[in-house]
Amino acid sequence: MKTIYKKLLFLFLLLPISVLAQNALSGVVLDKTSGQPLPGVNVVIQGSSTGTSTDFDGKFKVAGLKSGDVVVFSFIGYNSENFKYSGQKEIIISLEESSNQLQEVVVQVGYGTAKKKDATGSVSVISTKDFNKGAILSADQLLVGKATGVRITNSGGEPDTAPNIRIRGLSSLNAEASPLIVIDNVPIDNRLAAGQGNALSLVNPNDIESFTILKDASATAIYGSRASNGVIIITTKKGSSGAPQFNYSSNFAFGKVNDLIDVRDGVSFAQFVTDNYPQHIDKLGIPDVNNPGQRILYNTNWQDQIFRNTISQDHNFSARAAIFGDVPFRASIGYNNTQGAVKTNDYSRISASFKVTPSYFDKHLKVDVNAKGLSSKKNAIDVGGTIGAALDMDPTKPIFGDSPNNRFAGYYQETFYDATTGRHLIQGALNPLARLMQRERPESIDKFLGNIELDYKMHFLPDLRAVVNFGVESSQSSIREKFADNSLQTYQFNTSTDPDENFLFNPGLNYYERQTIDNKTLDAYLVYSKKLSGFITRVEMQGGHNFQSFVNQGFSERFQYNITTGIREPNINPQNPKNKYYGKMTLESYFGRANVDILDKYLLTMTIRADASSLFPSDRRWGYFPAVGLAWKLKEESFLKNSKSVNDLKIRLGYGVTGNSDIRSQGYYPYTALFSPGNQNGQYLPGVNVYSANAFNPNLTWEKSATTNVGLDFDLFKKGFLSGSIDAYVKKTTDLLATVSFPPGQFLTNQFVNNAAAMTNKGIEVSLLAKIITSDNMNWSINGNVSYNEGNVDEINGASRIEAAGGRLPGIGRQLIYHAVGEQPYSAWVFEQVYDNAGQPIPDVFVDRNGDGDITDGDKYYVAVTPKLNFGFGTTFNYKNFDFNASFRGQLGGKVYNSVKYQYGSEQKVVPNVSSNLSNNLNGDLPFVTIAENSVVSDYFMENATFLRCESISLGYKFDKVIKSASMRLYVGANNLFLITKYSGQDPENFNGIDTNFYPRPRVFNMGVNIDF
Amino acid sequence: MKIIIRNLATACLLLSLGSCSNELDTKPVIEQSFENLLQQDPNAAKGLLSRMYATFALTGGNGPDSSDIVTTDAGESGFLRGIINLQDFTTDDVKNRWGDDGLDQLTTTNNWTQNNKFFRYLFDRVYYTVPQTTNLILALNNTSVPDKALYISELRFLRSLAYYYMIDCFGKGVLVTTENYGTTSPLPEASRQELFNYVEAELLAIEDELPVTNEYGRANKSACRMLLAKLYLNAQVYTGTDRYADALTYVDKVITEGGYSLAPNFQQNFSADNNTSPEIIFPLLADALSSQSYGNTTYLVNGNMNTETMPITSFGCTNGWGGHRATKAWYGLFGDLNTSTDARAQLFWTSGHSYEMNDYKTWTDGYPTTKFRNTNFSGSSSTSNFSSTDFPLFRLADAYLMYAECVLRGGGGTTAQALTYVNAVRTRSGASALASSDLILDVIIDERGRELNFEGHRRTDLIRFGRFTGGSYLWPWKGGVFNGTSIPDTYNVFPLPLTALDANPNLTQNPGFN
Repeated sequence: MKTIYKKLLFLFLLLPISVLAQNALSGVVLDKTSGQPLPGVNVVIQGSSTGTSTDFDGKFKVAGLKSGDVVVFSFIGYNSENFKYSGQKEIIISLEESSNQLQEVVVQVGYGTAKKKDATGSVSVISTKDFNKGAILSADQLLVGKATGVRITNSGGEPDTAPNIRIRGLSSLNAEASPLIVIDNVPIDNRLAAGQGNALSLVNPNDIESFTILKDASATAIYGSRASNGVIIITTKKGSSGAPQFNYSSNFAFGKVNDLIDVRDGVSFAQFVTDNYPQHIDKLGIPDVNNPGQRILYNTNWQDQIFRNTISQDHNFSARAAIFGDVPFRASIGYNNTQGAVKTNDYSRISASFKVTPSYFDKHLKVDVNAKGLSSKKNAIDVGGTIGAALDMDPTKPIFGDSPNNRFAGYYQETFYDATTGRHLIQGALNPLARLMQRERPESIDKFLGNIELDYKMHFLPDLRAVVNFGVESSQSSIREKFADNSLQTYQFNTSTDPDENFLFNPGLNYYERQTIDNKTLDAYLVYSKKLSGFITRVEMQGGHNFQSFVNQGFSERFQYNITTGIREPNINPQNPKNKYYGKMTLESYFGRANVDILDKYLLTMTIRADASSLFPSDRRWGYFPAVGLAWKLKEESFLKNSKSVNDLKIRLGYGVTGNSDIRSQGYYPYTALFSPGNQNGQYLPGVNVYSANAFNPNLTWEKSATTNVGLDFDLFKKGFLSGSIDAYVKKTTDLLATVSFPPGQFLTNQFVNNAAAMTNKGIEVSLLAKIITSDNMNWSINGNVSYNEGNVDEINGASRIEAAGGRLPGIGRQLIYHAVGEQPYSAWVFEQVYDNAGQPIPDVFVDRNGDGDITDGDKYYVAVTPKLNFGFGTTFNYKNFDFNASFRGQLGGKVYNSVKYQYGSEQKVVPNVSSNLSNNLNGDLPFVTIAENSVVSDYFMENATFLRCESISLGYKFDKVIKSASMRLYVGANNLFLITKYSGQDPENFNGIDTNFYPRPRVFNMGVNIDF
Repeated sequence: MKIIIRNLATACLLLSLGSCSNELDTKPVIEQSFENLLQQDPNAAKGLLSRMYATFALTGGNGPDSSDIVTTDAGESGFLRGIINLQDFTTDDVKNRWGDDGLDQLTTTNNWTQNNKFFRYLFDRVYYTVPQTTNLILALNNTSVPDKALYISELRFLRSLAYYYMIDCFGKGVLVTTENYGTTSPLPEASRQELFNYVEAELLAIEDELPVTNEYGRANKSACRMLLAKLYLNAQVYTGTDRYADALTYVDKVITEGGYSLAPNFQQNFSADNNTSPEIIFPLLADALSSQSYGNTTYLVNGNMNTETMPITSFGCTNGWGGHRATKAWYGLFGDLNTSTDARAQLFWTSGHSYEMNDYKTWTDGYPTTKFRNTNFSGSSSTSNFSSTDFPLFRLADAYLMYAECVLRGGGGTTAQALTYVNAVRTRSGASALASSDLILDVIIDERGRELNFEGHRRTDLIRFGRFTGGSYLWPWKGGVFNGTSIPDTYNVFPLPLTALDANPNLTQNPGFN
């Protein structure tokens, strides 16, 4: 494979491009109705490789014309014009907007493109104009709320936070459940690099031109092995073939956390302790050195101490040009610096991209080269620990001061003097601010993503194309955890008993990891495409091979404290001194696709794919995934052909099977009996190295999803007043790879992955676009999408339920969320709370649902946490040079467990069991003294998670011709401007349904400038 | 151009030949197959054996945060921690105050349910050790590793030890053996009697195979006999048929053939250097650096420490977890602690604590026990987060008291010998010698309390003496009330965890639980 790559590169560099100057033609292209110049129009001499495109003033210049040449002007959304050259010097061309834009939308269908009107599968396209606006750090933020059937739930306001992306519900329990993401023909790895939170933060959102989302199996089947969860294809912006164009954009964003959790302040906390726990008042505040026996009470808002107002910025510069005369080229460079709402949680990213698309031999050979380099760095914080500590910490304690000889760099920390050893021991919770400020953990990633695709149209048979695509995704990560001087977390003792001599701090490196990811993909396929006349109007056949490999390796350095000297020392495992790890997964596929168009009205797509995964044993390795799609273009029927009010109408029908093998969460070799060396802290008998027998399952094979989809695409009334699509589907997943409990003792451990379950998702999706006003000066459109999905667990290994990953409550670790047969996946198993007349819960009293007189598990019922209905809507309004854009999204239904109420909502919370100091709780009258075991899983804590969020809003004005032909757009906007919900906690948007130690999503105001020149 | 065509031709060839298929057999680099492992490390078989011993003390092979079984909190899942949680907190000796989900149920011997994760931890631990040892036995069978026969006997001992806790705690289970291992369909439920028979047969079979002495930390004949003796001693409870004579036979062999002697000082058995004690028959090892776990003796040592009232560094600790305290049902056995001459009475921290445990959740109610500590008995000590103290699962003093009990229960032997043994245990700690007339069963259970509390035997002992359930014997917080109350007989076994019932439909819940 390496050699092929080298050869291709060599070939690309060798081929020279030469243009001979002959007669030239220049001119301007205008919009026929508005008379405005049209930039970016393709201007090509028919039958040659010579061409250009118009600049921002609609101007163009083509050289090398001979009399009789036909110059073709084409532009997406407009009807093409041909111009016959006969020696003119300058011309004006007017293009007319095509009546039906839907027809012209090109969608990526995997190993090729299709016009949307010809697509037989369920496909959504979201392009630049539809994106969320404003302070956008990662690609998922452009898309959230925009596409039907795509639910994106990020886990909070942390920069680089993981978006949970689910297309048409959850179709896998423990295998990878995120969709396959393909960036410029390179399917990227869903597994994150070390130190990476979000796979999509490693592509600059400013470079993205469109997202194509493949949802049903007839569309995704071509990606077979990794397509079960749907496919998101990201296409980046292309070069131009005209005059050089430059763009500079810049955005500044100012963020603030809206709502803090309402825990007690110092005064009410002291009052609460005095009223309820008078025996503990001697723990409030700190001793007053001047008045022995007295205590000084502070009033510290610990949340204020860890959060900050943020300033973030984003700058991008891009250039588009034709190099060597006619080779479209685009390059960009971007810089982003985002501050997280929690102090020290900084993120920065530098990105560069390069795209060049030359063609050779009269356009017989098209080459597409993409290279993207990114370098990101973030200071990772312990989110749960920090936020939890800020809520817990006694508000009567000071932030600074009062530690023995001020040894913790000025930070307050409660200590206890142990007279026998002379040690000032740390007592109680660590100062949350010191935890944050005294540690740094830069996690940096350098990443390269690139591909070269050769598309060769046979000279001897132009209907036959051969395509070879080679892609690379590689990254290097490093993590360094370091402590500052006098850090609380490195406070150690030596054997001295002198209180001034016996302690030490260990600043410096505490953890180090380096990781390399090296993923490759190679596609080779042949395409035969022929337009015919007669009954069959077009045939396209495609067949090919795909190979992918994923290698993840690295090492780490660990440390431990010497128990005598207190000095931090390398902790070396003699069997694996560098704690190396290595994993490799390979996937191989053969695929074929046939498209047959009958009478230009009936479109048939058939796909078959055979996939093999190295994660399965050789006899169970291959899976076969067929799909078929049918479309009926009603518009082409005689009764609609001339209709003025129906611009397009198409019915789609699809069925297909896709697979999923990605269980790398269980290791790269889950079916093999393997032994791992233990580490240096896990030894047992002296003088011998331990080895563990890893759990494995030799029976693993493909998880399969079969989807049936019916869809309707329409474009109605004048100027495309109302367009959209409606889809309905049933997706049945069988042989689900799920972590299940094995019959006790019959397996090497208690739980492991097995092809054990079955699940069904059913849903309806509607997306609409209304162009309310379409005129020269004013455009106003409203778009909206609604997705309804209902999941059901059909079977689980003969059991009635399994514990859902991430479904445990914090602290005590009680399992709340299950996948239970007959219920939606992710359902909380809870008791039904009984309330008093005032509407307050009566502690530990529940409804005896089964009426047996006892409150047992039999009285619990399931409450689904995932909403069935997700929606998004937005509007775009342009008046002359003003533009206004707003996006909203939300969910209807769904439940979230208000874990803050459970963790901080009892009186006894102030007297923690484990720690000796006091702990804060929620303000106000609390219904519980303590929260008993059954009450923990009461439906009292399950709250309605319906919400509406204003995702982004922006208002801009464009100045034409600021300097020469340069235009400049200035805008102001807001992200997460408001949230409407009945949820009593901070934010109901939550993936797992348990709201705990939540990193709040800040409200962000932003302003920026966008200059084209 | 030619190059392209050649490449395309290659691509087409790929289509038809599938030449990448060998790429699908990916090979690990860090992990090893059994064969490679044996080739690469001559000590690998012993390393695998060591790992199986470790399943009783460590939560996983990769340090304190790793766990062999799937769980929320690695540290909670240790086998020894499970033994202490289930065998001691449910009884009169030690109470925990954390109130974690399920821990209150143990401490108050009340409201037990199948959802309690602590029942599950012990259950899952048994059924981790059982298949893992069986798997290794099967693998070793096909090799020519030098000490193969010995290793296999030791593995059978470890498997029997795991099953012993299934018999004792849950009273039923499934019987996974070398013969049926690999069956994927759920095995039938095995009764207490069936499990008993299997463990008995296994131990009898390996008794001859195991050496009289073995490396410290590994099982020898005495460890095997001790386990047999415990099985027989409790046979009346487990099977309804008493086997005191058999118990006496094996405990006598331990005493007379084992070569053990009482440590001169009681405390020597519970200090960081207790590997030098001549008394310990079978320890679960711990080391502050190389063998770290939150579930080995670290749980016993740190759990009783709290800077709020104690100088924890004098016990070798840097971390006090402030969790456990003894009750008066333990320290009350010594009378007035201030005047007692019994060395064992000195192992409670009383300063700042009250005698009565009015609220088991209040740290200062009840005395923490300092029986287990992380300081050396002789020589200087250092402090550490983790304990270096080994856990004496079987020790000679236990054997002495078992012998006496067998005699009193009519298992044979002589009363004179029984008295000698009991008094040896007592006088070693400075307690007065008993007269022959004093030697009755009620004295034995109290002496077992003084001597063996917090060593994982208490619940078994109380059940055997009929004192665990019912209302004849009460202790603080039994049944969830301060003075104790009667609890039903169904509490003589624990409920099976719901996860196990879900995973094997042949398993049925013990009566009285759901």
